[in-house]
Amino acid sequence: MTILSEFLTTTAKLSIGNLVMILVGVIFVFLAIRRDYEPLLLLPIGFGVIVGNIPSGMGVYDSGSVLNYIYFGVSQGVFPPLIFLGIGSMTDFSTMLSNPRLVLLGAAAQLGIFLTFIGSLYLGFSPMESGAIGIIGGADGPTAIFLSSKLAPHLLGAIAIAAYSYMALVPVIQPPVMRLLTTRDERLIRMKPPREVSQREKIIFPIVAFLICTMIAPSAVVLIGMLFFGNLLKESGVTERLAETARTSMIDIVTILLGFSVGCSTQAQTFLTKQSLLIFFLGALSFAVATACGVLAAKVMNLFLKDKINPLIGAAGVSAVPDSARVVQQVGQKEDPQNFLLMHAMAPNVSGVIGSAVAAGFLWSKLVT
Amino acid sequence: MNDINFDFQQIAEGQGWETAFAGMTIVFVALTVVSVFIALLPRLLPTLNRFLPPVVHHTHSTSVQSHSNKPTPTSSEDSANEIAAAVGYILHIRQKK
Repeated sequence: MTILSEFLTTTAKLSIGNLVMILVGVIFVFLAIRRDYEPLLLLPIGFGVIVGNIPSGMGVYDSGSVLNYIYFGVSQGVFPPLIFLGIGSMTDFSTMLSNPRLVLLGAAAQLGIFLTFIGSLYLGFSPMESGAIGIIGGADGPTAIFLSSKLAPHLLGAIAIAAYSYMALVPVIQPPVMRLLTTRDERLIRMKPPREVSQREKIIFPIVAFLICTMIAPSAVVLIGMLFFGNLLKESGVTERLAETARTSMIDIVTILLGFSVGCSTQAQTFLTKQSLLIFFLGALSFAVATACGVLAAKVMNLFLKDKINPLIGAAGVSAVPDSARVVQQVGQKEDPQNFLLMHAMAPNVSGVIGSAVAAGFLWSKLVT
Repeated sequence: MNDINFDFQQIAEGQGWETAFAGMTIVFVALTVVSVFIALLPRLLPTLNRFLPPVVHHTHSTSVQSHSNKPTPTSSEDSANEIAAAVGYILHIRQKK
């Protein structure tokens, strides 16, 4: 009877909020499995949300629990740099090296981060909270987690969920903005195929680009360092086994731990607040603004360029790799099935990763000190 | 944040405009310098190649082989395969005629 009574007491502790969050978790799992929306992220996060909302006394916030130890990697910003190492070892910078002008589109899309930062201040968030919210516009989950763990740990769950949800919703959020800001003629622009890049260029690039970025924004050293280190492992040609591990087993393990523990951190008592709703609203806005800025920057560049850029690729400046580049390809092919924009879109896409890491480094150093 | 409070004054108090401007400038400068470097790289390479000629690394292939249990083909096996491929090609051409 005692066991039964204890069981019923535990069940009774489930609040309406917990039930709502469990439903959210089930929806995430459903979207991942049925709709194939970013399953590698949404499935661990979704199941984590379900687990995190069972009042067991062994959650991520309960000191000494297993989940608390796993969450250490999130709260102390350990997992994001490891994810960046994996991203670096799977990223091919060739398209960017063959067309350096497109790097600027990655910079333009980061405007979304700073406009959202201003918007968050306007809504009454503190500067540190605003910095953490703004980075959602970078469309880079690991960067968003890294920065919010440093600037606003209490908003980490909401920011991480918002960032990853919007990354999963790239095919829904971006196309309307892209179509709204471009004419049919612009969407039909065909770009010159990228030139072949030598292995030597690919080896020199991560070393020099790392030095340039960290000289300008030293606090980006962790994320940028891991990104370019991973890329050097890939391109050097002498550490293929390490690169292979970083881009397969290691990134998979870290993604599982990060996704699951972030999901677990969304307990209704801390997550279902007015702030979270605002963060979701600002996140969507940030994402749309970043997309718009990238597209508009490409249009402005076209005013001065002889070889025109298809402005759709500006949308790939948000660093959701490679989803936003894939969306560019899809939107472009709706107008002209023979127009292959994917390769070109990868250039602003990967430069967006660098740009958002630099922006995160800047916000960290500016707002913490 | 305790309550929603829309106020432009909060942007000024949080140094919002200055921070956003400085941040955007830093991101643009960093990526512009990277972009300029990438544009110059093909021109710098010939000079670099003169002082440091490219070398072919064998480390990767040997390290893979040393950790693999599969037997590696010897040079005599390689040439036998090449001869077989050449014979096959000639037979194929003759049959076509």
